[in-house]
Amino acid sequence: MSEPRKPQAGQDSADPTTHFGYKTVRESEKAEKVAEVFHSVAAKYDLMNDLMSGGIHRLWKRFTIELSGVRAGNRVLDIAGGTGDLTRQFSRLVGPTGEVVLADINASMLKVGRDKLLDSGVAGNVSFVQADAEKLPFPDNHFDAVTIAFGLRNVTHKDEAIRSMLRVLKPGGRLLVLEFSKPTSSLLSKAYDAYSFTLLPLMGKLVTNDSESYRYLAESIRMHPDQETLKSMMVEAGFDRVTYHNMTGGVVALHRGIKP
Amino acid sequence: MTLLLQAALAGAEATVNRVLRLDGVALKRLGRLAGKVLEVDCQAPALRLFILPDADGLHLAAHHEAQVDCTLVAPAGNLLQLALAKDKTRVLHSPEVTMGGDSAMLLELADILQSLELDWEYEVSRWLGPVPAHLLGARLRGGMAWAGDSLESLRLSLADYLAEESRSLVGQQEAEARFAELDQLKISLDRLDARINRLTQKIKPDA
Repeated sequence: MSEPRKPQAGQDSADPTTHFGYKTVRESEKAEKVAEVFHSVAAKYDLMNDLMSGGIHRLWKRFTIELSGVRAGNRVLDIAGGTGDLTRQFSRLVGPTGEVVLADINASMLKVGRDKLLDSGVAGNVSFVQADAEKLPFPDNHFDAVTIAFGLRNVTHKDEAIRSMLRVLKPGGRLLVLEFSKPTSSLLSKAYDAYSFTLLPLMGKLVTNDSESYRYLAESIRMHPDQETLKSMMVEAGFDRVTYHNMTGGVVALHRGIKP
Repeated sequence: MTLLLQAALAGAEATVNRVLRLDGVALKRLGRLAGKVLEVDCQAPALRLFILPDADGLHLAAHHEAQVDCTLVAPAGNLLQLALAKDKTRVLHSPEVTMGGDSAMLLELADILQSLELDWEYEVSRWLGPVPAHLLGARLRGGMAWAGDSLESLRLSLADYLAEESRSLVGQQEAEARFAELDQLKISLDRLDARINRLTQKIKPDA
């Protein structure tokens, strides 16, 4: 696990450092910098996701929905829900007797997600909350399922966030973490590196006129814990029966844990 | 493999729902089944599929971790037959097909799919406009009516030729007369059998 880092000699011991992509920044600055990235990309987030993944992100999310075990009447929290891809499906699954909360720390992403869902008629059982994954503003034992898709790597204190998710889950509830991870083949890893550090920033430049945000995306993926590390973090936080499924050769992994 | 299956299911789901939207009432009827889950367990090749109907159409899934309402176990051939057959209840009652749980849900779903009335002309009119779509629809309907009439005429002529001209097959009326004779013969034999039994009982010395 790479964060939080201990303060270096000469640094303010009250404000330790962490990473922002490959850069080292003060912990207090990271959330602000991540927010800047998402404010910048929010309007074209869906388009960029489709372009970057060739549409495969829809299949990763589809598999996440299947493994969630969510059914009618359940209460679901979709953290870092962004433009609401998972929330839309959960809203359908839980039906009028259930509830889905789309939470995102970034106001721009939340606004895009809310507008998109309301415009497509998803309403009634969905609520929108601007919330920090590390300090979830919900009661203990409240949700049947919690998901965080492509959000955990942007969180400053991942272990705190995982503990917070455990707290709000009901006993027997599931946490699903869908996140970029480490490719299982070295050949794929090399091709993926070449793609991430050349094509991704170029696409970002062409579509959103912001190559830096997509350079951060590539770097933040490399700094994110690999499959086994994230699994051990979930076990350490108190989750039971933690398993993960590699997808697209490990480019993305879906971790699942049950609250005992 | 997981993603290939997901891609196949997503493609099938999109196609099926596009077709379902062409029917005016199918989605409303499917909405009444919302929250129910049908598990289709295909044997040879082994494949498990979950169907979740709701007002948006049918959702297909390879995994479903919650309880299912109805289970349908059948070989692939029977499932294909079920999808294509007009009389789906006949296929459901065949010995290779096993049903478990709430079979009413399965029968309702089969009935919705069986009674689809697809408005292709509306779909075409979205692309070509109402007038060309109507002309095309009228031409297609005329063509299909002609093809139907021709096929029926061919069937009747062929039956007539095989039974009356070439005498390769027995004619229907001739066969029915023979079947009636056979039925009569069977009844007479049964009566004779009963009479013999009665006479045997009469002449048999009392025990």
